[in-house]
Amino acid sequence: MPDWIEILLRSFFFLIVLFLITKVLGKKQLSQLSFFEYVTGITIGNVGAELATKVEGNIIHGVLSILVFAIAPFIAGLISLKSKTFRDLIEGKASVFIKDGKVMEDNLKKEKYTIDELLGLLRKKDVFDISEVEFALLEANGDFSVMLKKQNQPVTPKDLNLPVAAVKEPQTIIMDGLILDEPLSTIGLNRNWLHTELDKLGVILENVFLGQANSNGELTVDLFDDKLKVPSPQEKPLMLATLKKCQADLELFALGTESKEAKEMFSKNSEKLQKAIDNVAHILRN
Amino acid sequence: MTIASNVKQCVSSLKGVEAGLSSLALRTQDDESKRILHETMLVVNEVRKDVQKRVGELEREEPQYKGF
Repeated sequence: MPDWIEILLRSFFFLIVLFLITKVLGKKQLSQLSFFEYVTGITIGNVGAELATKVEGNIIHGVLSILVFAIAPFIAGLISLKSKTFRDLIEGKASVFIKDGKVMEDNLKKEKYTIDELLGLLRKKDVFDISEVEFALLEANGDFSVMLKKQNQPVTPKDLNLPVAAVKEPQTIIMDGLILDEPLSTIGLNRNWLHTELDKLGVILENVFLGQANSNGELTVDLFDDKLKVPSPQEKPLMLATLKKCQADLELFALGTESKEAKEMFSKNSEKLQKAIDNVAHILRN
Repeated sequence: MTIASNVKQCVSSLKGVEAGLSSLALRTQDDESKRILHETMLVVNEVRKDVQKRVGELEREEPQYKGF
Protein backbone atom coordinates (compact mmCIF):
# COMPACT_ATOMS: atom_id res chain seq x y z
CA MET A 1 0.00 0.00 0.00
CA PRO A 2 1.54 3.36 -0.97
CA ASP A 3 2.36 5.70 1.90
CA TRP A 4 -0.06 8.40 0.89
CA ILE A 5 -3.05 6.10 0.95
CA GLU A 6 -2.04 4.88 4.39
CA ILE A 7 -1.75 8.47 5.62
CA LEU A 8 -5.20 9.20 4.24
CA LEU A 9 -6.68 6.20 5.99
CA ARG A 10 -4.84 6.92 9.24
CA SER A 11 -5.89 10.56 9.29
CA PHE A 12 -9.48 9.60 8.69
CA PHE A 13 -9.32 6.95 11.40
CA PHE A 14 -7.86 9.31 14.00
CA LEU A 15 -10.32 12.01 13.06
CA ILE A 16 -13.10 9.64 14.00
CA VAL A 17 -11.34 8.48 17.18
CA LEU A 18 -10.72 12.05 18.36
CA PHE A 19 -14.29 13.05 17.51
CA LEU A 20 -15.72 10.14 19.49
CA ILE A 21 -13.50 10.85 22.48
CA THR A 22 -14.42 14.53 22.70
CA LYS A 23 -18.05 13.53 22.31
CA VAL A 24 -17.75 11.12 25.26
CA LEU A 25 -15.85 13.58 27.44
CA GLY A 26 -18.65 16.05 26.94
CA LYS A 27 -19.12 19.77 26.79
CA LYS A 28 -17.02 20.44 29.84
CA GLN A 29 -13.89 19.61 27.89
CA LEU A 30 -14.82 22.32 25.40
CA SER A 31 -16.15 25.06 27.63
CA GLN A 32 -13.90 25.13 30.66
CA LEU A 33 -10.47 23.60 30.68
CA SER A 34 -9.22 22.70 34.12
CA PHE A 35 -5.50 21.91 34.51
CA PHE A 36 -6.17 18.31 33.90
CA GLU A 37 -8.35 18.71 30.84
CA TYR A 38 -5.87 21.21 29.42
CA VAL A 39 -2.99 18.74 29.69
CA THR A 40 -4.91 15.71 28.41
CA GLY A 41 -6.51 17.70 25.60
CA ILE A 42 -3.13 18.76 24.24
CA THR A 43 -1.66 15.28 24.56
CA ILE A 44 -4.55 13.53 22.86
CA GLY A 45 -4.32 15.96 19.97
CA ASN A 46 -0.57 15.46 19.68
CA VAL A 47 -0.73 11.69 19.73
CA GLY A 48 -3.45 11.74 17.12
CA ALA A 49 -1.51 14.04 14.81
CA GLU A 50 1.74 12.11 15.30
CA LEU A 51 0.21 8.76 14.36
CA ALA A 52 -1.77 10.14 11.46
CA THR A 53 1.40 11.27 9.66
CA LYS A 54 4.02 8.77 10.84
CA VAL A 55 3.55 5.67 8.74
CA GLU A 56 5.95 3.56 10.81
CA GLY A 57 4.05 4.18 14.07
CA ASN A 58 1.84 1.43 15.48
CA ILE A 59 -1.83 2.36 15.39
CA ILE A 60 -2.83 0.09 18.29
CA HIS A 61 -0.22 1.69 20.53
CA GLY A 62 -1.47 5.11 19.62
CA VAL A 63 -5.10 4.28 20.30
CA LEU A 64 -4.14 2.75 23.66
CA SER A 65 -2.30 5.90 24.64
CA ILE A 66 -5.20 8.10 23.57
CA LEU A 67 -7.61 5.93 25.56
CA VAL A 68 -5.50 6.34 28.72
CA PHE A 69 -5.45 10.10 28.31
CA ALA A 70 -9.19 10.12 27.67
CA ILE A 71 -10.14 7.85 30.54
CA ALA A 72 -8.03 9.75 33.10
CA PRO A 73 -10.05 13.01 32.99
CA PHE A 74 -13.25 10.98 32.77
CA ILE A 75 -12.46 9.21 36.06
CA ALA A 76 -11.11 12.39 37.60
CA GLY A 77 -14.40 14.04 36.72
CA LEU A 78 -16.37 11.28 38.39
CA ILE A 79 -14.32 11.46 41.60
CA SER A 80 -14.41 15.26 41.74
CA LEU A 81 -18.20 15.13 41.62
CA LYS A 82 -18.02 13.40 45.01
CA SER A 83 -15.03 14.91 46.75
CA LYS A 84 -14.41 18.60 47.35
CA THR A 85 -10.76 18.07 48.31
CA PHE A 86 -10.06 16.15 45.13
CA ARG A 87 -11.86 18.84 43.15
CA ASP A 88 -9.70 21.58 44.62
CA LEU A 89 -6.59 19.57 43.81
CA ILE A 90 -7.52 18.75 40.21
CA GLU A 91 -9.42 21.81 39.08
CA GLY A 92 -7.67 24.34 41.26
CA LYS A 93 -9.14 27.02 43.45
CA ALA A 94 -10.22 30.52 42.63
CA SER A 95 -7.94 33.27 43.94
CA VAL A 96 -9.33 36.49 45.31
CA PHE A 97 -7.74 39.53 43.65
CA ILE A 98 -9.82 42.31 45.18
CA LYS A 99 -11.61 42.13 48.50
CA ASP A 100 -13.49 44.92 50.27
CA GLY A 101 -12.26 47.18 47.48
CA LYS A 102 -8.61 46.46 48.27
CA VAL A 103 -6.20 44.68 45.93
CA MET A 104 -4.71 41.48 47.38
CA GLU A 105 -1.09 41.89 46.25
CA ASP A 106 0.02 38.50 47.60
CA ASN A 107 -2.55 36.62 45.57
CA LEU A 108 -1.63 38.61 42.47
CA LYS A 109 2.00 37.61 42.97
CA LYS A 110 1.07 33.98 43.52
CA GLU A 111 -0.83 33.82 40.23
CA LYS A 112 1.92 35.83 38.45
CA TYR A 113 -0.39 38.62 37.44
CA THR A 114 1.02 42.13 37.11
CA ILE A 115 -1.01 45.18 38.05
CA ASP A 116 -1.31 46.03 34.32
CA GLU A 117 -2.85 42.65 33.63
CA LEU A 118 -5.26 43.09 36.52
CA LEU A 119 -6.35 46.46 35.13
CA GLY A 120 -6.72 44.84 31.72
CA LEU A 121 -8.95 42.12 33.15
CA LEU A 122 -11.06 44.74 34.88
CA ARG A 123 -11.38 46.76 31.66
CA LYS A 124 -12.61 43.67 29.86
CA LYS A 125 -15.45 43.70 32.40
CA ASP A 126 -16.11 47.38 31.58
CA VAL A 127 -14.58 48.59 34.83
CA PHE A 128 -12.08 51.42 34.36
CA ASP A 129 -12.06 52.73 37.90
CA ILE A 130 -10.78 50.33 40.55
CA SER A 131 -12.73 52.21 43.23
CA GLU A 132 -15.95 50.83 41.75
CA VAL A 133 -14.98 47.25 42.59
CA GLU A 134 -16.04 45.56 45.79
CA PHE A 135 -14.83 42.07 45.05
CA ALA A 136 -13.03 40.36 42.18
CA LEU A 137 -11.58 36.93 41.73
CA LEU A 138 -9.76 34.80 39.22
CA GLU A 139 -11.74 31.61 38.72
CA ALA A 140 -10.00 28.24 38.63
CA ASN A 141 -10.50 28.07 34.86
CA GLY A 142 -8.90 31.47 34.26
CA ASP A 143 -12.07 33.53 33.96
CA PHE A 144 -12.20 36.80 35.84
CA SER A 145 -15.32 37.72 37.82
CA VAL A 146 -16.09 41.13 39.24
CA MET A 147 -18.67 42.26 41.77
CA LEU A 148 -19.22 46.00 41.75
CA LYS A 149 -20.06 48.05 44.80
CA LYS A 150 -23.80 48.28 45.28
CA GLN A 151 -24.02 51.91 44.18
CA ASN A 152 -22.25 51.07 40.92
CA GLN A 153 -24.39 48.09 40.05
CA PRO A 154 -27.06 48.53 37.40
CA VAL A 155 -30.47 49.46 38.77
CA THR A 156 -32.98 46.62 38.86
CA PRO A 157 -36.77 46.91 39.08
CA LYS A 158 -36.43 45.56 42.61
CA ASP A 159 -34.25 48.54 43.59
CA LEU A 160 -36.92 50.89 42.28
CA ASN A 161 -39.77 48.95 43.89
CA LEU A 162 -41.19 48.62 40.42
CA PRO A 163 -43.77 45.89 39.84
CA VAL A 164 -42.98 43.97 36.66
CA ALA A 165 -44.95 41.33 34.84
CA ALA A 166 -43.34 37.92 34.87
CA VAL A 167 -42.30 36.66 31.46
CA LYS A 168 -41.55 33.15 30.34
CA GLU A 169 -39.26 32.26 27.47
CA PRO A 170 -40.72 33.04 24.06
CA GLN A 171 -41.13 30.24 21.54
CA THR A 172 -40.17 30.30 17.89
CA ILE A 173 -43.25 29.01 16.12
CA ILE A 174 -42.65 29.92 12.45
CA MET A 175 -39.40 29.28 10.60
CA ASP A 176 -39.00 29.87 6.86
CA GLY A 177 -42.76 30.00 6.38
CA LEU A 178 -43.35 26.68 8.11
CA ILE A 179 -45.30 26.24 11.34
CA LEU A 180 -43.48 24.42 14.14
CA ASP A 181 -46.15 22.50 16.02
CA GLU A 182 -44.14 21.41 19.04
CA PRO A 183 -43.18 24.86 20.43
CA LEU A 184 -46.67 26.05 19.53
CA SER A 185 -48.25 23.50 21.85
CA THR A 186 -45.58 24.10 24.51
CA ILE A 187 -46.86 27.65 24.87
CA GLY A 188 -50.46 26.43 24.94
CA LEU A 189 -51.56 27.72 21.55
CA ASN A 190 -52.67 26.09 18.34
CA ARG A 191 -52.67 26.57 14.56
CA ASN A 192 -56.09 28.17 14.69
CA TRP A 193 -54.84 30.89 16.96
CA LEU A 194 -51.80 31.40 14.76
CA HIS A 195 -53.87 31.80 11.59
CA THR A 196 -56.12 34.32 13.37
CA GLU A 197 -53.11 36.33 14.55
CA LEU A 198 -51.56 36.28 11.07
CA ASP A 199 -54.85 37.49 9.61
CA LYS A 200 -54.92 40.29 12.18
CA LEU A 201 -51.44 41.37 11.08
CA GLY A 202 -52.49 41.00 7.46
CA VAL A 203 -49.61 38.74 6.39
CA ILE A 204 -49.61 35.29 4.80
CA LEU A 205 -47.75 32.38 6.31
CA GLU A 206 -45.50 31.91 3.25
CA ASN A 207 -44.14 35.42 3.67
CA VAL A 208 -43.06 34.92 7.29
CA PHE A 209 -39.35 34.24 7.76
CA LEU A 210 -39.46 34.04 11.55
CA GLY A 211 -42.33 34.15 14.00
CA GLN A 212 -42.10 34.21 17.79
CA ALA A 213 -44.87 34.06 20.38
CA ASN A 214 -44.26 35.30 23.92
CA SER A 215 -45.87 34.03 27.10
CA ASN A 216 -48.65 36.62 26.81
CA GLY A 217 -49.71 35.08 23.53
CA GLU A 218 -48.41 37.95 21.41
CA LEU A 219 -47.01 37.19 17.98
CA THR A 220 -43.99 38.96 16.49
CA VAL A 221 -43.09 38.23 12.89
CA ASP A 222 -40.23 39.02 10.56
CA LEU A 223 -41.15 38.93 6.88
CA PHE A 224 -39.18 37.91 3.80
CA ASP A 225 -40.34 41.14 2.25
CA ASP A 226 -38.60 43.75 4.39
CA LYS A 227 -40.39 46.62 2.67
CA LEU A 228 -43.68 45.62 4.31
CA LYS A 229 -44.20 47.18 7.72
CA VAL A 230 -45.69 44.93 10.40
CA PRO A 231 -47.55 46.56 13.26
CA SER A 232 -46.13 45.72 16.70
CA PRO A 233 -48.55 44.12 19.18
CA GLN A 234 -50.83 46.91 20.43
CA GLU A 235 -53.52 44.95 22.20
CA LYS A 236 -52.33 45.42 25.79
CA PRO A 237 -51.47 49.16 25.68
CA LEU A 238 -54.76 49.74 23.90
CA MET A 239 -56.62 47.92 26.66
CA LEU A 240 -54.86 49.98 29.31
CA ALA A 241 -55.75 53.18 27.45
CA THR A 242 -59.42 52.14 27.18
CA LEU A 243 -59.51 51.32 30.89
CA LYS A 244 -58.08 54.74 31.72
CA LYS A 245 -60.56 56.42 29.39
CA CYS A 246 -63.49 54.63 31.02
CA GLN A 247 -62.24 55.64 34.44
CA ALA A 248 -62.00 59.28 33.36
CA ASP A 249 -65.49 59.05 31.79
CA LEU A 250 -66.95 57.77 35.05
CA GLU A 251 -65.42 60.69 36.92
CA LEU A 252 -66.88 63.05 34.35
CA PHE A 253 -70.34 61.50 34.70
CA ALA A 254 -70.08 61.81 38.48
CA LEU A 255 -69.41 65.53 38.07
CA GLY A 256 -72.07 65.98 35.42
CA THR A 257 -75.05 64.25 36.99
CA GLU A 258 -77.48 65.98 39.31
CA SER A 259 -78.91 62.86 40.85
CA LYS A 260 -77.14 62.30 44.16
CA GLU A 261 -77.48 58.54 43.94
CA ALA A 262 -75.95 58.39 40.48
CA LYS A 263 -73.13 60.71 41.56
CA GLU A 264 -72.26 58.36 44.39
CA MET A 265 -72.44 55.31 42.16
CA PHE A 266 -70.20 56.85 39.50
CA SER A 267 -67.55 58.10 41.90
CA LYS A 268 -67.48 54.79 43.77
CA ASN A 269 -67.01 52.90 40.54
CA SER A 270 -64.38 55.28 39.21
CA GLU A 271 -62.37 54.72 42.38
CA LYS A 272 -62.80 50.99 42.03
CA LEU A 273 -61.62 51.11 38.45
CA GLN A 274 -58.64 53.29 39.38
CA LYS A 275 -57.52 50.70 41.93
CA ALA A 276 -57.88 47.93 39.36
CA ILE A 277 -55.85 49.96 36.86
CA ASP A 278 -53.05 50.47 39.39
CA ASN A 279 -53.00 46.73 39.98
CA VAL A 280 -52.89 45.65 36.38
CA ALA A 281 -50.90 48.48 34.78
CA HIS A 282 -47.52 46.75 35.01
CA ILE A 283 -48.83 43.79 33.05
CA LEU A 284 -50.52 45.80 30.34
CA ARG A 285 -47.64 48.23 29.84
CA ASN A 286 -45.16 47.12 27.16
CA MET B 1 -74.43 63.84 22.18
CA THR B 2 -76.38 63.43 25.34
CA ILE B 3 -75.14 62.06 28.59
CA ALA B 4 -77.14 58.91 27.92
CA SER B 5 -75.25 58.11 24.74
CA ASN B 6 -71.92 58.88 26.44
CA VAL B 7 -72.74 56.51 29.26
CA LYS B 8 -73.77 53.88 26.74
CA GLN B 9 -70.47 54.30 24.96
CA CYS B 10 -68.67 53.84 28.25
CA VAL B 11 -70.58 50.63 28.87
CA SER B 12 -69.53 49.19 25.53
CA SER B 13 -65.90 50.18 26.11
CA LEU B 14 -66.01 48.43 29.47
CA LYS B 15 -67.51 45.38 27.79
CA GLY B 16 -64.67 45.34 25.28
CA VAL B 17 -62.03 45.65 27.98
CA GLU B 18 -63.68 42.89 29.97
CA ALA B 19 -63.54 40.51 27.02
CA GLY B 20 -59.95 41.52 26.24
CA LEU B 21 -58.80 40.97 29.81
CA SER B 22 -60.53 37.63 29.90
CA SER B 23 -58.87 36.40 26.71
CA LEU B 24 -55.48 37.74 27.85
CA ALA B 25 -55.87 35.93 31.18
CA LEU B 26 -56.50 32.69 29.33
CA ARG B 27 -53.49 33.12 27.06
CA THR B 28 -51.00 34.27 29.70
CA GLN B 29 -48.64 31.57 30.92
CA ASP B 30 -47.62 33.07 34.24
CA ASP B 31 -50.00 32.20 37.11
CA GLU B 32 -49.57 35.47 39.02
CA SER B 33 -50.33 37.60 35.95
CA LYS B 34 -53.24 35.31 35.15
CA ARG B 35 -54.70 35.91 38.61
CA ILE B 36 -54.30 39.69 38.45
CA LEU B 37 -55.85 39.85 34.98
CA HIS B 38 -58.77 37.74 36.10
CA GLU B 39 -59.36 39.87 39.19
CA THR B 40 -59.26 43.04 37.12
CA MET B 41 -61.74 41.46 34.74
CA LEU B 42 -64.12 40.81 37.65
CA VAL B 43 -63.84 44.41 38.87
CA VAL B 44 -64.51 45.74 35.38
CA ASN B 45 -67.51 43.42 35.21
CA GLU B 46 -68.94 44.83 38.47
CA VAL B 47 -68.40 48.41 37.32
CA ARG B 48 -70.00 47.61 33.98
CA LYS B 49 -73.09 46.18 35.67
CA ASP B 50 -73.50 49.30 37.86
CA VAL B 51 -73.17 51.64 34.91
CA GLN B 52 -75.55 49.47 32.89
CA LYS B 53 -78.16 49.99 35.58
CA ARG B 54 -77.70 53.73 35.25
CA VAL B 55 -78.27 53.41 31.50
CA GLY B 56 -81.67 51.88 32.26
CA GLU B 57 -82.57 54.82 34.50
CA LEU B 58 -81.42 57.32 31.91
CA GLU B 59 -83.48 55.65 29.24
CA ARG B 60 -86.53 56.06 31.40
CA GLU B 61 -85.74 59.77 31.81
CA GLU B 62 -84.89 60.36 28.15
CA PRO B 63 -87.04 57.86 26.26
CA GLN B 64 -86.10 59.30 22.86
CA TYR B 65 -82.61 57.81 23.22
CA LYS B 66 -83.88 54.34 24.01
CA GLY B 67 -82.40 51.39 22.17
CA PHE B 68 -79.04 49.64 21.93
